[in-house]
Amino acid sequence: MGVQALLKYIIKKIVTMIPVLVCITVIVFLILHLAPGDPVDLIVGPNVTPEVYENIRNKLGLDQPLTVQYFKFMSNLLRGDLGTSILQQRPVSEIIIERFPVTLELGLSALVISFAIALPAGIIAAVNRNSWPDYACMSGALVGMSMPTFWFGILLMYFFAYKMRLFPISGYGTLRHLVLPAFAMGLTDAAVTARMVRSSMLEVIRQDYIRTARSKGLAEKVVINQHALKNALIPIVTLLGLRMGWLLGGSVILENVFSRPGLGRLIVDSILARDYPVVQGAMIVLTASIMAGNILADILYAVVDPRIKYN
Amino acid sequence: MMSMKRGRLLTLIVVACLVSGLIMTGCSKPPAGNDASNQPQAQEKVLVLGYDRDAETLNHIKTSWYSDALIYIYDRLVSRDYNFNYKPGLAESWDTSEDGLTWTFHLRKGVKFHDGKPFTAEDVKFTIDTIKNPDTASPFAGDLAAINEVVVKDDHTVDIILDYPFPNLLFNLSNTAAGIVNKEAYEKYGDEYGSKYVVGTGPYIFQEWVKGDKIVLVKNPEYNWGPEWMSNRGPALIDKIVLRTIPEENSRLMELETGGVHILRNVPAAFVEKLENNAEIEIVKGSATKLGYLAYACDKKPFTDVRVRRAINHAINREEIIQYVFRGVGQPAYGYLPPALQDEYYQDSEKDAYKYDPDKAKQLLAEAGFAGGLKLTLSSDNSTENSRLAQVLQNQLKQVGIDVEIQLYDSSSYTAMLKEGKQELFIRLYSWPNADILDWFLLSSQSPYPNHSRWVDNKTDEMLTKAARMATWEERAEEYKKAQKYLIEQAVWCPIYVPDNLIAVRKEVKNFKYHPWMLQYNDGFDLEVK
Repeated sequence: MGVQALLKYIIKKIVTMIPVLVCITVIVFLILHLAPGDPVDLIVGPNVTPEVYENIRNKLGLDQPLTVQYFKFMSNLLRGDLGTSILQQRPVSEIIIERFPVTLELGLSALVISFAIALPAGIIAAVNRNSWPDYACMSGALVGMSMPTFWFGILLMYFFAYKMRLFPISGYGTLRHLVLPAFAMGLTDAAVTARMVRSSMLEVIRQDYIRTARSKGLAEKVVINQHALKNALIPIVTLLGLRMGWLLGGSVILENVFSRPGLGRLIVDSILARDYPVVQGAMIVLTASIMAGNILADILYAVVDPRIKYN
Repeated sequence: MMSMKRGRLLTLIVVACLVSGLIMTGCSKPPAGNDASNQPQAQEKVLVLGYDRDAETLNHIKTSWYSDALIYIYDRLVSRDYNFNYKPGLAESWDTSEDGLTWTFHLRKGVKFHDGKPFTAEDVKFTIDTIKNPDTASPFAGDLAAINEVVVKDDHTVDIILDYPFPNLLFNLSNTAAGIVNKEAYEKYGDEYGSKYVVGTGPYIFQEWVKGDKIVLVKNPEYNWGPEWMSNRGPALIDKIVLRTIPEENSRLMELETGGVHILRNVPAAFVEKLENNAEIEIVKGSATKLGYLAYACDKKPFTDVRVRRAINHAINREEIIQYVFRGVGQPAYGYLPPALQDEYYQDSEKDAYKYDPDKAKQLLAEAGFAGGLKLTLSSDNSTENSRLAQVLQNQLKQVGIDVEIQLYDSSSYTAMLKEGKQELFIRLYSWPNADILDWFLLSSQSPYPNHSRWVDNKTDEMLTKAARMATWEERAEEYKKAQKYLIEQAVWCPIYVPDNLIAVRKEVKNFKYHPWMLQYNDGFDLEVK
């Protein structure tokens, strides 16, 4: 498979992304504007004269028909302008750029923790199938999977920050602030990943070429590390790309529990406040990242598995 | 089958992912020394305050959500002392013309903004003119509607000319929204004012704002113009104030208990007992200028009948509500204003109001033709306390034959629903330290919103308008009392409770005194540093 074919494929993918993105803007725009509620109420509070209220609506362009508002929003978007936050009264892009690294930092560190635990655990479980290490790993995974992330986060906070005072309770800024939420998110995710590693390993171990390798007289360690693991990891590696959405959107509740000023919290706060431009902008960024993640998954898939060809 | 080359590539990718993850985490770590929120530097006195939400903008002219940071950054012409009295602020004194239409403010000399520019009458004129300018779209514009013109007499004298007598001007000028801005800085920074740049004359200087996380203020070393009623007129004793946003209630309380936060306002009643047992924390209580009430759409049947409105008032057992919904924290309410507004509150509210009397309620309903009972909806926002309140009310109303179906809304949808006018019975809580709240909620011109009880009544309009435009504060208060008596008679609302403000203060904080609005700035307030 040539690099050119892959490039062609990626370009094709990106082109097909555009209509999807447009659809997303229409859906997000409609759901937001048709939902009951009015951002102006939150700016002005209850104690305001109708004249002031109307004046503010007019300034924000909220008194215009929805179609006009949508086309204004789209034409600004095409010029790369995500608009201005109604409540914070500054550019949406500026707000998102502030919040993005906070979420990314948590997502990536959780991913690292998750894989660092899930890979060995899954392999050990598969290799020692139906023996105590397998049972130990898989029951650990079951506990991890059954526990909601936020609950696990609160438990970690309670023991390590509140009782033992090893870490700050909440907040953002230093590595110490990151440890507890990253482990809360990483450990619960490791549970899912470990199960996938295990089943993928088990599938590979049953294959003929593994039997061949063993009958050649290779050491079990070599069989597992050199032959089995490589193929077993193919589905896991492609999973990394698909994880983009989870990285960015998966930490909404944790961001609240640990008061991290991330993208998820921004979206929730803005939805509650009906800050339309911020929600729209953040959703576009999120959608685009998930799509980029999908493309990345496709690329990784082709890279790690030579049998896959894109034509 | 996979070649060795592919295999190495695979390993490489996995390693690259892990490493890039580690690098990212490392990179986004801000420079050291930024950890002030949790570990104060030696000797530096850092006070940390906890809040459930962040400011939207620190330009107080353009918001109605006033961060406490604004209290510390700005000064106002008029200040309010511990007993709700209006006292000098940036204005040393003021006098009013005979007809009550011209107010002359004599400004303090030697006051400087944080950027070094001296404070003058021009800044006062600029602040008021900007708020009143329709292009600014300030939510506070309506509060200054009585002002016709601001005239600068000299650098330290300014005349405020009114269209009609308006004694409440003092209240409005003492509001957080009336903090005096620096004309030059405000014009220079334009849209970035309030987000990146904030310039006031107050005891603390704006240093940094990590949106969604914290606002950091540092002491203004030159400040010495605090109001006379403060025991320390400046500079402040505490070097730095950090206002942290911690949206989760449990996290906020744990921060308080572990010392990550020194002061928490609005502690939920449910946590008071636990905190009171903690030797490191003191709970400071004070009556809030808030009122929780049950309202109804007065223009709809059956609420058009005053007997039905009175029956509902008789059906509500306020003591039981305070006990079961608010764990005994707060006072039953009978009138239309919180009693903490000593000057304006109608003292006989309780005497005139409708006592809990289910039999009387049933009798009134029967007289109104509803002996067979009523089926109504009861709307509320979905906050924990109001949802519980709705359930208790449902139960109490059932005792007198009124069956209600509860409908809960998120706060934005709730406002939208009230504007559309779908409500029958509904729960509200207002928070406002002035009698003019009655104008907002009950003047005919405010219907259907914010007059969501849809009370359209000429006599109320006359009484409230007359009160607002009396020549003096005392006469105004008297007229508002008459209006409250009339509202009780008409049973326009069913007042239920006045909550207590609950402030939790850690033991490191010295000389903390309860002020109804936390407007004590730097009043003798100190911090013990470990």
